[in-house]
Amino acid sequence: MSERFSSRWGLMLATLGMAVGTGNIWRFPRIVATNGGGSFLVAWVVFLILWSVPLMMVEFAFGKHSRLGTVGAFVKMAGKKFAWMGGWVALCATAIMFYYSVVAGWCLRYLAVSATGGMVGADPTEVWTSFTNSYMPLVTHVLALGIGVSVCWFGVRGIERVAKVLIPTLFLLIVILAIRAVTLPGAERGLDFLFKPDWAALKDVNIWLQALTQNAWDTGAGWGLILTYAIYMRTREDVPLNAFTIGFGNNAVSLLAGIMVLCTVFALNPDASSEIVGAGNEGLTFVWMPQLFAQMPAGGVFMTLFFLGLSFAAITSLISMIELATRVLINAGFARKQALLSVAAAGLLFGLPSALSLDFFHNQDWVWGVGLMLSGLFFAIAARRFGLEKLRTELINGPGSDIKVGRWWTFLIAVVVPIEAVVLMVWWLWQARTWDADWLNPLGTENVGTVLAQFAVALVVLLLLNKWLARRAAGATEVSS
Amino acid sequence: MSGIAVVMMVLICGFIWGGLALLLSKAVRSESAKNEVGDDG
Repeated sequence: MSERFSSRWGLMLATLGMAVGTGNIWRFPRIVATNGGGSFLVAWVVFLILWSVPLMMVEFAFGKHSRLGTVGAFVKMAGKKFAWMGGWVALCATAIMFYYSVVAGWCLRYLAVSATGGMVGADPTEVWTSFTNSYMPLVTHVLALGIGVSVCWFGVRGIERVAKVLIPTLFLLIVILAIRAVTLPGAERGLDFLFKPDWAALKDVNIWLQALTQNAWDTGAGWGLILTYAIYMRTREDVPLNAFTIGFGNNAVSLLAGIMVLCTVFALNPDASSEIVGAGNEGLTFVWMPQLFAQMPAGGVFMTLFFLGLSFAAITSLISMIELATRVLINAGFARKQALLSVAAAGLLFGLPSALSLDFFHNQDWVWGVGLMLSGLFFAIAARRFGLEKLRTELINGPGSDIKVGRWWTFLIAVVVPIEAVVLMVWWLWQARTWDADWLNPLGTENVGTVLAQFAVALVVLLLLNKWLARRAAGATEVSS
Repeated sequence: MSGIAVVMMVLICGFIWGGLALLLSKAVRSESAKNEVGDDG
């Protein structure tokens, strides 16, 4: 049986499900609020074009042409010496999957609690603290992972069917919540805060780097996930128009989430707005949002819809990460079910520390978040090895393409994306020096030492295994057409 | 809400949501054309 998305819309919804995750809902509103509002949005739109869309095109082209997971695709497109780079991309996305399953579990837990009225009259800080100090995150981690694995069990058809239900519903939920938020008395203060530009902020390089980071982390570009779904594209499928549509679609959802969150914050608790947007991802989502919904008429209903949307966003992204790891193992010679069970076992085991310790969770989120920037750089290097003009004219603008991409794309991948990736990594590590007095300690939670140590171990192992990885990839069977 | 915030809202939302609408309409038209010529690949 051929493994293909049944239609373009199936592919687009699944890919949008991959791109839209918790980062759109819990990170974007905080980052835009703390980085100059409208000025940040200008930089954010610029980097959608200068980072996300060009890398998405590379991923779509690699997946569609190679019909192999990340390791095999890098071997086929860049050569046997580059198997380790594909391995890095797979490792990075899989390491994120381990703790992202924990995040999806948190969302499911809060969905259940809010739907059953458990948040009524409760102190959200107390609810969050007692939840994270219990073994319950372990249970919800297993539940989230189980849902993701169950969907992938049925292959691409399972992924497509689920995306066709969850993504339109998620979009509808966010629209309903955004409409509710903008119709609250005082919501215009939130809109003003979100869109009012601080032109002086545009001279601040940090704003631009935050905007680039947001694109790197929440569009899914350079993660290898689009490549994985592109394996299942039909031959007639377009690359450039799909890449633009997914990028714009993802950022459209982010914008709605920003309106929803900031209007709710400024309408219901304007005095604490700085504290709320500075409370971190978990603080905003699991402590402040329940408090704000509690002040709203029919707040219990809207709180449930909020956590339902968040759960859908998390689960559809988790599915894509599970599928990435599964596809790499299938290419290494595993049968799908055998590969999936191996990924499930690894996810269960390596997600445990993050489920039981927020420090461990924050460490992994920090390390592999920086790792994604290296993944983006590796895609640009592999594309260059293949030949940028050949990639552009034969694969991106090749059969099935609905629009043609000019030489601007070649320039972006050859020059701009590599510079962005290197600058971003250096900037984050430079900043991290100030977060921890013992900044080179490899056992620190969020510092430079832990990134360098974990990167060094991963890169040395992957380089040592390069020949083996390339051999396994060479024997892989491409997804049938 | 200040005037400049309204202008920025129109520009940013117009670019992102308007851009998405245009891209989707192009995708719909392309898909219809491909279906008409019976390209099922």
